[in-house]
Amino acid sequence: MKSINLRLTRKMNEVFSIEPNDLGLNLFTNYFRKVTSYLKTAPFIVVIPLTILISLFLYLVFGRLLIKLVTILQYGY
Amino acid sequence: MVTDLITSFILVVRNFILLTFSPYKTMRRISEEKDIYQPAIIIGLIFIYFKFIYYLRDKIYPATLIYLIFVINFLLTVFFFYLLSKLFDKDKKVINLSSFINTFTYSLFPTLIWFLSTSILYIFLPPPRTFSLMGKGFSILFIAYSLSLLIWKFIIVYLALRFSSKQSFYKIISMIILFLIWFIPYSILLYQFKLFRIPFI
Repeated sequence: MKSINLRLTRKMNEVFSIEPNDLGLNLFTNYFRKVTSYLKTAPFIVVIPLTILISLFLYLVFGRLLIKLVTILQYGY
Repeated sequence: MVTDLITSFILVVRNFILLTFSPYKTMRRISEEKDIYQPAIIIGLIFIYFKFIYYLRDKIYPATLIYLIFVINFLLTVFFFYLLSKLFDKDKKVINLSSFINTFTYSLFPTLIWFLSTSILYIFLPPPRTFSLMGKGFSILFIAYSLSLLIWKFIIVYLALRFSSKQSFYKIISMIILFLIWFIPYSILLYQFKLFRIPFI
């Protein structure tokens, strides 16, 4: 029982180690919490489809410039 | 000592996997860590990477020199954010340097993965990219891959700052802007000296 209490206290201290974010306006704070909830756990579920869409959009807008950018990036390591 | 190192290595691998699945909880736990071996292992892995790319890049500077410059960059970044957090801190929260070192070394993982994968791709699919269908397809996938790692990097850096500095969202964004004010010209300087094409940070 004592060890459970100790673990619970440690967990509570860990969870409340920082104050919750307040962006000033309730609308902003709620929106921020909604967006960040997707990024706190398994962010790649959202990130991978999003980046594929962004890349396709960038290719449609910039065309060959994007391919040149990849060449530059490949020399960038 | 050997057992400690092995344990720390296992923890590094575990934390790395968990950072992809639950970055928030993992970063919160990393910020509470007191183990000095974990950052040492990550910094050691980066040294191996610099030794590896020495054989691929134009050998202008020795790998050890480039690595030392990276360590200076890293320490400058950590101390900058640590001192800024102390300056921003009005409620006298507990701010530890060790927390900054731990979280920021883990934030190097997306960078290391991108640099390592790009250097391996350089061997198997060397640039320049062509305008063929395959070239275009590869380019779109490469940009998507790079953007994914960049977003992951932003998430991890933000969380590193959030749990180490214990500051609010606006203060963290201000800290990042202040960092970029000196870091962008500094990166251009490193580029001019042909030390880094893209800053390793």
